[in-house]
Amino acid sequence: MSSDKRLFLFNFLRGAAAILLALLVATVFIFLSSKQPLTSLKYLLLGPVISFKSTGAVFNTTSFLTLLAAMIPTIFSGLAVCVMFSANQFNLAGEGVIMLGAFVGGLLGIYLKLNTGLHQVVCVLVAAIVGGLIMLIPALLKVKLGASEMVTSLMLNYVIMFVILHFLNFTFADRSKGATQSFPFQATAKIPEIVANGTKLTWGLVIALVFVVIIALFMYRTKWGYAIRMIGINQAFAQYSGIQVGAIIVLSQVVGGILAGMGGSIEMLGRYNTFIWRELPGYGWLGITIAILAKNNPIFVPVAALFIAYLDKGCQLMAINSDVPFEMIDIIQASIFLFFAAEQFLAKYRQRIVVRIAQRDLALQEAAGQEGSKS
Amino acid sequence: MTSELLHSIFNADFLFVLIRITAPILFAALGAVIAEKAGVVNIGLEGIMMISALFGVLFAYWTQFWLVGVLGAMLVGIFLALVIGFFAFELKTNIILAGIAINMLGAGGTIFLLNMFTGMKGNTGALVTRELLIPVVNIPLIKSIPFVGQVLSGHSLLTYLVFLLVWIIWVVLYKTPLGLNIRAVGENPDAATSIGVSVQKIQYIAIAISGALAGLGGAFMSMYYSQGWNSGMVAGRGFIALAAAAMGRGEPLGTMLSSLLFGLAQALRTKVSGVQGVSSYLVSAIPYLVTILGLVGYAISIKNKLKKRQPAVKGV
Repeated sequence: MSSDKRLFLFNFLRGAAAILLALLVATVFIFLSSKQPLTSLKYLLLGPVISFKSTGAVFNTTSFLTLLAAMIPTIFSGLAVCVMFSANQFNLAGEGVIMLGAFVGGLLGIYLKLNTGLHQVVCVLVAAIVGGLIMLIPALLKVKLGASEMVTSLMLNYVIMFVILHFLNFTFADRSKGATQSFPFQATAKIPEIVANGTKLTWGLVIALVFVVIIALFMYRTKWGYAIRMIGINQAFAQYSGIQVGAIIVLSQVVGGILAGMGGSIEMLGRYNTFIWRELPGYGWLGITIAILAKNNPIFVPVAALFIAYLDKGCQLMAINSDVPFEMIDIIQASIFLFFAAEQFLAKYRQRIVVRIAQRDLALQEAAGQEGSKS
Repeated sequence: MTSELLHSIFNADFLFVLIRITAPILFAALGAVIAEKAGVVNIGLEGIMMISALFGVLFAYWTQFWLVGVLGAMLVGIFLALVIGFFAFELKTNIILAGIAINMLGAGGTIFLLNMFTGMKGNTGALVTRELLIPVVNIPLIKSIPFVGQVLSGHSLLTYLVFLLVWIIWVVLYKTPLGLNIRAVGENPDAATSIGVSVQKIQYIAIAISGALAGLGGAFMSMYYSQGWNSGMVAGRGFIALAAAAMGRGEPLGTMLSSLLFGLAQALRTKVSGVQGVSSYLVSAIPYLVTILGLVGYAISIKNKLKKRQPAVKGV
């Protein structure tokens, strides 16, 4: 086995161990709090894809498709976080920018008159641009003034939310409805389901997967992506090697904003008929969990997003069918966060593997050297 | 409308409210100051406040004694901060991610824990009775001075404590060996190590103090401010505290002033939302907007200072 493969396998197993540990924590809490722990666990772990009927357990295709549908916004937010965190920019405004993208896309879907096809493209593009522009705020403040992007982006989330709520309530509200919501989106702006079966699995997933590939290429096959990763690994080194650190830091956050804005609008025009979000949607935070699980590598984002969608659904079903509250998911997520992101978690074993590989390589070299001297 | 507004702002009641609203932000902001001085980013303040607020109520309820609640909240705060520290320092989890994990526990984990311990959902409802709240202190003499008495007397014990802590923390940071070590570790860990200071130990101490302060802030919220715990209670105060500390240049006094500024923005919000024709949503955005603007202003002032200094350096 080559050394690369061995380390890869180790990293994979380490990730699996972290997830298992997190689920173990969840199990402990379930046994502590639930009167029917086994039922709870059954729904948490199997519920998302298996439905339990009196005749037995059956694979539930519809439920599986809703899992795929749930990945649409989180793939985008996961990608956004990947790009920003790769440059060591702890911009946490994905949350607000997704809401902003959804709002902008939604408004254009209501008030713009265009043919279908073009209409969706315009909505999503404008949402993406607005998302990218708003990220200039934390990005430029960081680069020009040295203000912490983490703090400004956190504050920005709240500002965006309240400003949207203001306009939703006072300018764009559909007063004929009981609850505060916008007027309905036009049919021309809706992002259709791949198969019209009510699972909300729209073409948005295809777009999301296309962007997984685009962002992967961007990060690993362009000089900008290289610069972003280099800044994340060693900013001083990047600076000395002539990378324009400031510009690249701004770029990483603008790309993050574009992705978040796009994801928000696609989710809004795909899943809903009117704009009804009255609080931050939570996808930005999920995106952070997903980026951590994917180790900031865009290619792994869909897998991580599927896993999170599975957990989320599992927790929902558990809350419905047993006495464990849905918020269990936060405990699981927090545990994953802590263990998965822990570089020293199981580091001793990693050390052992590295040492063994080095010893073997040395032995091989020596053997080759002796043969060389013999001949 | 404007005169009505001005009238409702410049009176003793408003200043009283200002102090009351500032206190929890200041607790957490002082926590941020201590952590930052030791070179540690504690973004988990928000979650620590949420969780310790919950445990403050629970401990007080279980023992039927408010002081146990406050101390319990503080201990929970220390414990959570040490968890962040353990993962960050020992297992090398990025400290921002470790903090976010604690915030997640604060957001959802608290609802879960509340349900687990009491079977209640979303808030502690009737657990908190009047006797379990942090007591209010009427200062003799001062309370009978007109205006001043109305503003300064009648606050909770913790309100006075937090303003006292501004001074105490300044003393600790600048007049004690521990403070010297904390600042040394924050400014130059290598230099600190070279004179035999254990960077890790000092950072553990700093983050523990920061957790204790956030814990007290949490207790203030649930056992005085909103008289019970509910899931939307802390509402970003832990994050605002980070901004307040940044804007206060990481100094206790400056942080107190910037906390008062954010307190002012929040107090204005409560005043203005009652006025006809003003959007409560836009007013709600003010504290956060002020935070961003404050950070910008602070950053610009630093920048200018550096510019002024530069020629002198070049001359040498």
